[in-house]
Order: sequence, then structure tokens, then C-alpha cells
Amino acid sequence: MSDTTLKMNRRHLLKTAGGTALALGMPGLSGRAFAATTITVADPGGPFGPAFRKAFYDPFEKATGIKVVNVAREAEPTAQFKAIVETKSYTWDVCTLTLSARDILAKQNLLEPIGFTRDAAPGLMPEAITEHWMGTDVYSSVFAYRNDHFKNNAPKSWADFWNVEKFPGRRSLRKNPIDTLEQALLADGVNIDQLYPLDVDRAFKSLDKIKQHIAIWWTGGAQSTQILQSGEVDLTTGWNARLQAAIDGGAPATIVWDQGLYSIEGWAIPKGCPRADAAKQFIKFCSTADRQAVFTEALAYGPTNLDAYKSISPERARVLSTSPDNLKKMRVANEAWWSENRAAVTERFNSWLLS
Amino acid sequence: MNTKGIAGMTATTASALSPRQRYFRPNALWLAAPGLAFLAVFFLFPVLRLLALSVQNPASGAFSLESYARIANTDVYLQVLGITFKIAGNTAIFSILLGYPLAYWLAGLRDGLRERMVLLVMVPFWTSYLVKTFAWMVVLGRTGVINNMLTGSGLASQPFPLVYNEFGVMVGMVHAMIPLAVLTMMPIMIGIDRRLIQAAQALGAAPAQSFWLVYFKLSLPGVTAGGLLVFISSLGFFIVPALLGGRRETMLAQLIITQVQELLNWAFAGALAAMMLVAALVTCWLYDRLFGLSSLSGGETSAQNGGSGRLRLIGLAILRVIAKASAMLADVVRKVIGTRGAQLLLPIYCALALAFLVLPTLLVIPIGFTSSQFLEFPPPGYSMQWFETYFSSPVWLSATLRSFGVAAATALCATLIGGLAALALARSSTRWGGVIFATFLAPLIVPRIIIAVGLFYLFAQIGLVATDMGLVIGHTVLALPFAFVTITAILKNYDWRLDQAAAVLGANRVKTLFLVTVPLVKGGLVAAFLFAFITSFDELTIAIFVSGGIKTTLPKQMWDDMILQLNPTLAAVSVVVFVIVTVLLLLAERFRRTA
Repeated sequence: MSDTTLKMNRRHLLKTAGGTALALGMPGLSGRAFAATTITVADPGGPFGPAFRKAFYDPFEKATGIKVVNVAREAEPTAQFKAIVETKSYTWDVCTLTLSARDILAKQNLLEPIGFTRDAAPGLMPEAITEHWMGTDVYSSVFAYRNDHFKNNAPKSWADFWNVEKFPGRRSLRKNPIDTLEQALLADGVNIDQLYPLDVDRAFKSLDKIKQHIAIWWTGGAQSTQILQSGEVDLTTGWNARLQAAIDGGAPATIVWDQGLYSIEGWAIPKGCPRADAAKQFIKFCSTADRQAVFTEALAYGPTNLDAYKSISPERARVLSTSPDNLKKMRVANEAWWSENRAAVTERFNSWLLS
Repeated sequence: MNTKGIAGMTATTASALSPRQRYFRPNALWLAAPGLAFLAVFFLFPVLRLLALSVQNPASGAFSLESYARIANTDVYLQVLGITFKIAGNTAIFSILLGYPLAYWLAGLRDGLRERMVLLVMVPFWTSYLVKTFAWMVVLGRTGVINNMLTGSGLASQPFPLVYNEFGVMVGMVHAMIPLAVLTMMPIMIGIDRRLIQAAQALGAAPAQSFWLVYFKLSLPGVTAGGLLVFISSLGFFIVPALLGGRRETMLAQLIITQVQELLNWAFAGALAAMMLVAALVTCWLYDRLFGLSSLSGGETSAQNGGSGRLRLIGLAILRVIAKASAMLADVVRKVIGTRGAQLLLPIYCALALAFLVLPTLLVIPIGFTSSQFLEFPPPGYSMQWFETYFSSPVWLSATLRSFGVAAATALCATLIGGLAALALARSSTRWGGVIFATFLAPLIVPRIIIAVGLFYLFAQIGLVATDMGLVIGHTVLALPFAFVTITAILKNYDWRLDQAAAVLGANRVKTLFLVTVPLVKGGLVAAFLFAFITSFDELTIAIFVSGGIKTTLPKQMWDDMILQLNPTLAAVSVVVFVIVTVLLLLAERFRRTA
């Protein structure tokens, strides 16, 4: 009886953990059998899949012989990531994480070191690499307006966005305190270099002024594209690539980069991953300027290796977050402040929405 | 002769058996054992393990009521709980109100016609709720179909705010839930002998009174079952309020998901889930007192004992008032539009209701053929590009195949396990009936994200992560309540004397079950099977966790595709699914008729 249970356990362990338990004891064996041949990479899905395949996956396979299988991860894969590490069922070897996800997971000790530093890729933005994570693409939180509504008199700043008399029109904000609080403070006149630590009381006071004028509180990136494209609203906040998607699809709209906040998405490895060596190799491969220039052809996200702009056309650079012109207008969102305050501020924001 | 009398008679027959006979007779309650064991392992254990986190300090693991104190000290969570219950309650009321006449009309049609009409009712089911929700944005938006018609024709000078408010949420939710309400009520109504109404009228009852006091009363098990199913499944909605709601339409499931996925505070998520669970159970208890739900959970407890319950008396009193009021209303209507006009009211209403149900799907079909990059209506031009994208993608095709396979397996398991359990409750008078009933309903009440995370931990331990088997098990947990309630409701009206008659004529229990009981409750079984199938076919949360992105199902693939960018591939997929399902259902019907 106990014999069979033991056998069962072992078989299941083998299946679920991809041989983790054994791999720890006999790294050589599992390395030969499984690890070095295929890695599973979780990317954001949608248009990222084909773009990353062309820029990273296929060239990496060609260069190393390690096969890359890509799957789509959730918008917030933290729960899955945690579950993967805690149960040692390494369905993913590499996964893209936002800064906030990275900080939450790093704090809970769920990330594997990536094994190289900025010395290996000097073109990288300094904030795009840490011990456990390397940024691959930069997105910005900005706003866009419809040209057909604001013909001669277009809003240019957050103060204009908040000014409903001078710039009448239907507005939309994100139903989430992240970025929205910063935008409220910028509208209220706070200097973009002195945003953090956020003055939460002042931010909510500023939000009070615009609360009644918000027609839609959007909840997902695809929704912000949809409402801008259909003309449901005349100006909306959003991530630049989502707003750009509406513009690329023919919507008459303009993105305002001034006073934007940018953030970075990048690769990380689940702690204890049996194929960590191959995963590290992959991440390092993604840091090079020429690889990053390729994905910007299909995706309107900025590369983190600024040397990539040497081979990106000026027209394309104009819609990317990290092109010199756009980058100087923006600041990076302070993730450390948010990790500290997110739970409490989210609670207050939800309460404020209902009042 | 009413059901109470029949049940009374069977009870008497059962107790007339000698003690020895009863000892040797296999107790019907054992039929619930497979279902209870299944739920204990794959639902109660993983969920309780997760809920136990709510009384732990996240850092030290020591016992702590911190999370509950936070809920009590912050008004936002109780407020959101209130909003959640209000939205779910309104959805249940409107789905039953709007669905009842439709179910009544369907029940009165001849079999063949009814089956074809039921296909129309089912149409919304076959369109993924992700796509449906976006279709509603296209219909109800400021520049949407309805507002364009109103302003274009000069009927309105300003577009109406039809969406991004409570109205939009109600449209989306009621639309999604009417099929569930109708298909739960209809089998019961088909079982009602309409000659009873003629009898009542022959005895002098006005048509409205004979309807409310005879027909409606007999259809109540369906109404209570449908209302409860709709209410409880509505509690867990999050995509519809997120996309169609405004500032205030936040539901608890959204907050729980934020805690689980974004803030990674599972202790607090557990506490929120526990709060929702307790509130839902209290509601079920009140509902039972008011409408006699336990009449469903086997036995006639509420009619016999609970019959004296004050709340139940109030329920009956309400019914009498409605009967009187509608009798008066009917008189007025008849005077205004004449008897013929009055007779046309029901078919006209049903045509409108069916139009409401199929409207988003009708929109999705042309959008599938659009040349635009967006879900626009009307499409600016036509092309096959989105179908090409779909048919040339092995990922989409394998996801489609897997979804059909997993859904079929889930439907079989759920109907079998749920059917046996329903039979157990119907055939045994036990004081545990209520507990068993609640156990089978529980997967509906617990937010799916909690079940999904709990199952992921269990599956990782027993090697079911990223397997089709894991998906089937997870989906069966979710589908069981639907199958169970549907079959319980139909068995409620089943005349058990037919089984006794079969037994007298020499049939053994198995023969009786398959040759008498099953053919007679077939409508309910088919409904149960379809509910279970659709539950699995449209399920996202479990798929996200259990599939690990590797064994992708159709909703998971759609979700991945639409997180960032909503493109008409989703509409093309919906068209393909819709065509496949319609052909399958039509073939099944043809096959059954010739057989």
C-alpha cells in the first residue's frame, strides 16, 4: 500500500514538476533529457506573439538550437507565477512581468536571478535591468483626443484634460488609481519631477473636480482602443500602443506625450526553474539592440536598448515611447511608491468611486 | 390531485414496508455518494484550504482575524457587496419576469416547433460572453446602432446614455441569463397538464385567476429554481459590469480578482470570498423561507412543516394579490384592444424577446466578415481575412477542438453525477436533504477565481495541471450545480406512481430507470446536458489556471487575443462556432425524429 503511494507520488512529481525534484538532485540528467532542448516563454499574447517570434524566438532558436514555445500569459500573471513556483510545476520558464508584478514577486522571493548586468548590454536604459529581471519594451500612460472633435483648440496637458469649460467633450479615465492619481496631480499643477511621494489627499481633491465629467471609466486596454476608435469619447487616457492601434486603424486621433508616465515590461524566470540556464541565455539574447529594433516594426512599444534607434526609421520612432523626442517629455512611474501604497490607495479609490 | 398528495402517497407506501424489507432495500441516498465524493475532493478540499488562509496572518501564518477586521472597518467592501446583491437580484427578477412568458409560450407549442424555437433561445449561449459584451457596446454606445437609428430618424435629438451605467449592465446580464431562466422553467411547464386550467375555468375561475392560482403555482418549482440559478450565477459576474458598467457598477468578484491576481493578498481575497459565501447562504435561506425552495431539495418539508412559516404565508398572499391585480388588468386590456388583440399579445411579446436574444449574434455575423480592424457595425467593407486568420492558425483550431471535446466530456460527467444525486434526493426522505442540496449548489456561490486557484494547487500535487482531464474535472465542478438543479426540478414534478406501476408490471429498478423514468424526464436531462456543455464551453477562469496557457480552450484563446487588442477574429470564431453548433443540433433533432 505505502509502496504504491510512493510510486504514485514519484510519477506525479515527475509529471508536474517537469522533474524538478530530480533535477535538483541530478542536474546533469535532466539537463540532457529535457531542459536544454525547449523553453516555454509566456508573452502578453495578441500581437506580441508574432512580433516576438520574429524578433526573439526564431533567431534564438537559430543561434542556440534551443526551441522556444510561446504561450500567452494573463494581464496580471502574478497569481499564476506564484502558484507555479510554490507547486514547482514549471509550465513557464520565462515570463514577461510589469514593474509592479516584478516588485511583488521579488519581495516574495519568487524570482530567479537573470545572471548578467548592464555591463553586458550598455545600451540598456538603467532602469531596465535588475538582478531578477530585464526590461524588453517600454509603454507610456498618456492621453489621446479625437481630431474631429477638437479641431482648432486641442488639449495639450493634463491641466487641459481637466479643464472641461475650455475643452468640452466626453472624457474617459482608467478605473484604477495607478497613473490616474499622478494625472490628477499633474492637472493640479504638481511638477512632474516632484510627483513622488504622491500627495494622495491632493490627488483625490483634484479627482473630485472631474468626477462628474467622466463618461466612461475604462477597465481594459482593448476597451480604451474601442472607445477612442468608435468616437464614444472625445478624449481618453490609455497606454500609447493601445491608442496607437486606434490611430493605425484609421481613427482621427492624436496622442499627447507631454507629461506622460512610462513603465517597462520585461522577462523574469520563476525561482527554481529547472531550465534556468537556457532561460537566462534567452533573456540575454533579448537585450541586444538589433533584436529589439525588429519588434518595434510590428509593435508600437519602445525598445529598452536605446541603441536600437540607430536602425529604426524616424517615422516609426515618432510613435515609440523611448525615442529621444518622446522620452524627454516623460518620467518613469515610481513603482517603489506603488508597491508600498497600492493596497491602501486602491481601497480608497474604490471607495471614492462609489461615493 | 396535486403533487403534495402524490408525495404523501409515496411516503406512505415507503413506510408501509416491513423493517426487514427496508433494511435490504438499497437506500436511494447512496446515489448521491459519487457526486458528494467528487465535490469533497475537487471542490470543498481545495476551496477550504484557500479560505483557511483568510484567518492567517499573511506573513507569520499565525491565526489572525486581521482581514475580517479590515472588511468591517472599511465601508467599501460592504457597499460593493450590497451593489453585487442588488445587480444579481435585479438580474434574477428581470430574467424571470421577461423569461416566464417566453417559457410559457414555448411550453404550449407542439414538440417540433418548440425545439426549433428553443434553438433561438439558445443562440446567446453559443456566442462567447466576451464577444457578446463587446457586441452590446456596439449596439448601445453613443454612436451605436440604436442611437444612430434614433438620432438618424429624428426621433431623438441627443443620443441616449444606454451603456456605461446600470442600464447597460442590466441589459448585458439579463441577456446572458434569460436563456438559463427559460430553459430551467420550460421543462416544468411542459409537464403541467393544461387541462387543469380548463377544469378551473369550468369551475368558475376567471382566466387570470386560473392561471395564477393553478398554472403559475404548478410552475413555481421552475420559477424558484430558475430564479436561484440566475441569482447565484450572477453574483460571480465580472466582465459584464467591468465593460458595460459605470463608476458605481463594481461587483465583488472584480475586487476578489484584484486581490488574487494583482495584489497577491490571498488572505484578504479569502476573507472577501468567505463574506460573499456567507451572504449568499443567508440569501438562500431567506429565499427558501419565502418561496419554499426546500420543496425542491426533495421531501415536502416546506409544504408540510414550513407551510406554517409566516414568510411562506406572505409568499402565498403575494400570489393572491397578483392574481387579483392581473385579472383586473386583463379585463382592461381586453376592453381596449379586444379579445383577438389580447390573444396576439403573447406571440408578439415572444417575437420581441427572441429578437432581443439573437440581436448581438446577428451583429456578430456581419462583423466576422468585416474588412475593418475593429468591431464596427455596420462594417465599412467585407472580406474573408478574419476567417483566413482563424482557419490558418493551428492554435485557434486546436483550441476549438479541445473546447468541444472538454465540454462534451464535462456535460456527460455532470449530467450523470448530478442526475444520480437529484434522483437520490427525490427518492429518499432524509433530513440531510438540505445539506446535500446546498453542497451541490455551493460551486455556484464560490467565486470561480477561488475555485481555480484552489484547484491549481491540488492539480499540481496530483499531476493534472495542463491536462485535458484537469479541465474536465474543473469544469464538471462548475457545471454540476446546473445539471443538478435542472434535474431536481424536473423530478419534482415527476409522478413516481409510474415507477411503481412499472415495478408492479415486473420491471426491475434498472429497467424502470431506463425505460420509464429517463424517457419521461428526458427534457430535463437534455437541458442539464446543454447547461453543463455551455458552462464548460464558455468557461475562462479555470482554463486560465489549469491550462497554464498550454492546453488552450477557445475562451482562453479569445481572452488572450483580446486583452490587448480586440480584433474581428473573435467575431469570425463566433460565427464558426455558431454554425457548427447549429448544424449539430439540427442533425441531432433530425436523427432523433427518424429514429
